[in-house]
Amino acid sequence: MISTLFEIFKSNMVQIPLIQPIIDYLMQIPLINFIVALILWRPFFAVVIIPGLTVLLLYLLYIVWFERKLTARVQWRVGPLEVARPIRGAIQALADGLRYFFQEAIVHKEAHRPYFVQLPILAFIPILLPIAFIPAGNVVGIKSPYAVQLVVAFLALIPITIIAIGWASNNRFAFIGSVREALIYVSYEIPFIIAVSSMIYLYGSGDPYVAVEKQSIVPGAIMNPIAFLVFIIAMLMATSRLPFEIPEADQEIAFGPFVEYSGMLFGLVMVLAYEKLYVMALLFVILFLGGWSGFYCELLGDLNAPLWLFIKTIIVISILAIVRSMYARYRIDQAVRYSFSWLIALSIVALVIGIAVGWIV
Amino acid sequence: MEEFTKFVRGGILGPIKKWGTKWSLWPVHLVTACCGAELAHAFACGYDGERIGALNYGIARQTNLIIVEGAITRKMARVLRITWEQMPDPKFVIVMGACGLNGGIFWNGYNLVKPSEVVPVEFFIPGCPPTPEALLRGIRQLQIKLDKGVAENSVSFSEVKAEKGKKPRILPRGVKKVSLAPCIVIAREKEVEWELGKNLCEKLKVLGRAVITARNRIALKVDPDKLRSSAMKLRDLGFDHVKSVNVVDAPNEGKFIVEYWISSYSVKELMPVLINLHSEISRREPKISSLSDIFPSADYLEREMQDLFGVEFVGNPWKGRFLLAPDAPEAPLRKDFKLQEEVYVGD
Repeated sequence: MISTLFEIFKSNMVQIPLIQPIIDYLMQIPLINFIVALILWRPFFAVVIIPGLTVLLLYLLYIVWFERKLTARVQWRVGPLEVARPIRGAIQALADGLRYFFQEAIVHKEAHRPYFVQLPILAFIPILLPIAFIPAGNVVGIKSPYAVQLVVAFLALIPITIIAIGWASNNRFAFIGSVREALIYVSYEIPFIIAVSSMIYLYGSGDPYVAVEKQSIVPGAIMNPIAFLVFIIAMLMATSRLPFEIPEADQEIAFGPFVEYSGMLFGLVMVLAYEKLYVMALLFVILFLGGWSGFYCELLGDLNAPLWLFIKTIIVISILAIVRSMYARYRIDQAVRYSFSWLIALSIVALVIGIAVGWIV
Repeated sequence: MEEFTKFVRGGILGPIKKWGTKWSLWPVHLVTACCGAELAHAFACGYDGERIGALNYGIARQTNLIIVEGAITRKMARVLRITWEQMPDPKFVIVMGACGLNGGIFWNGYNLVKPSEVVPVEFFIPGCPPTPEALLRGIRQLQIKLDKGVAENSVSFSEVKAEKGKKPRILPRGVKKVSLAPCIVIAREKEVEWELGKNLCEKLKVLGRAVITARNRIALKVDPDKLRSSAMKLRDLGFDHVKSVNVVDAPNEGKFIVEYWISSYSVKELMPVLINLHSEISRREPKISSLSDIFPSADYLEREMQDLFGVEFVGNPWKGRFLLAPDAPEAPLRKDFKLQEEVYVGD
């Protein structure tokens, strides 16, 4: 049994010439070779190391710090610094996370107790499942010709958990937040899906490999700039970032659905939007910015593709973080009106362009 | 489970917990006064409290520090306590400003509460208001204290059994009942050691109900038709002027209470004494005999009461308006007087 598994892992390992001598040495030791083979097994590597959970955690530490630092610089402040002076306070998010981890998690009397505790953990399922389908070169969890469609379908499940969180909290602010989340959900989801399907028409397939191959000369952002624009705006709306930070408006409704959460549970629900942003940015990079294609380094071998994908994703998210410190918030009616008039019109134009370009190419 | 919780809260993981809490003190600020401006300064550019990991946050559930800014009144004390109880466990309180420390300029206010009596306070920051440097130093001191201290819960609660089964459906409460006829009490008796007062009371008891309400204060209730004779008796005792005339409107009891505050300038031992000579008259025909010929100083005061309450002082020669403008409404200080509603054009 174990030997069969070992053979399966061994036959499909990530090849990295840089650390190949170390791996060769470790593979001779019994038991450790099994663990090494498991870690370097391509599907496991894709889901757990890169672009999966490990870099997701690193990304969370980075983006929270980067956002606070950037906002501080815009406001002529310094931002988090003293926690680790030599690296400009880059582990501030770690300190906040540890504090949340050790704080008391209050479950108040009016809450629906089982759902209130379970839902933050259940909300991770629709966030982690897409990562299994997003490939990075040879490193891929589950290979599927319908990967793009599947990722979009899983992303559509996340607001449902957030609405359920608001319901389980049994708080008036949480109710208002849930209703706002539902409104924003219907208003961004339609342009988002139309923009993605325009790119699927353009490439002729929902397979990320085909999409990346077709972008080898011209990136998708230039082939269909309007879909690019619609995708960015839908991304801002979906992750409730600032021009559309309507469900979690902390000045009016005190973080909306998450108002009653404290301690570790709040730590879990607070990063939901950031994780959603990560998955959407991965999809964005694959559809519009040429995916994992980039300068090839011989020493890194198979690690090239995931690294390029991750670096591009981080750059996209860092640029989007600037929006947060520059814009004021829309009212709910403005956001809904805007998305149901202009955004849908733009997305239909993008669909026409996608079909036309796909027909020519 | 309890031991596990204890292990997680303290134990081997203590230093990690202490480090995380130290660098992530998020204050929820309870602004009741001008210290809030200094807090804003401390967290804006220039001083930037976010440097040391303190991020202002409006929501109690997700924070671990309260900065109390300013005087805490009885009403706000409840808010402070609720905010403190909403916060999850390792929680700290910093009080800034002289008002929170010992009252500041409100030191003898009847309605003032010290925050240290409501919640356990970690640090006080003196000053009126404290400078931003002082506030940041307070947060810094709390960090040092956390660093040196033991990792443990900042508060412990008694164990409560979790409810099982279906929760009972709690219906909303009915409308609050308001008492229809709150009784107005003018003279409440009080035990004081005052020889002169007791003698005076003995003399006044033939006129009506005479009680000592405080030191140097006597209340004497008489019937309306005995008012003049009582006033004459008081004049004979040495009281020579009326300090104030007052009317209390009690619409629920259907009466006016007319009070004369009588004192003396000529007899030395009676100088500090104030006698409240009052009597009740019907609200339907508010008529009472005037004392202006016995005590001339009552004249103008009676005219004023006649203006404001519509009580007729029989014997007072003045008829017509005294203080109010000619077009002012009748008896504006009566409790059933309705203000004229404003009309907005185009509404």
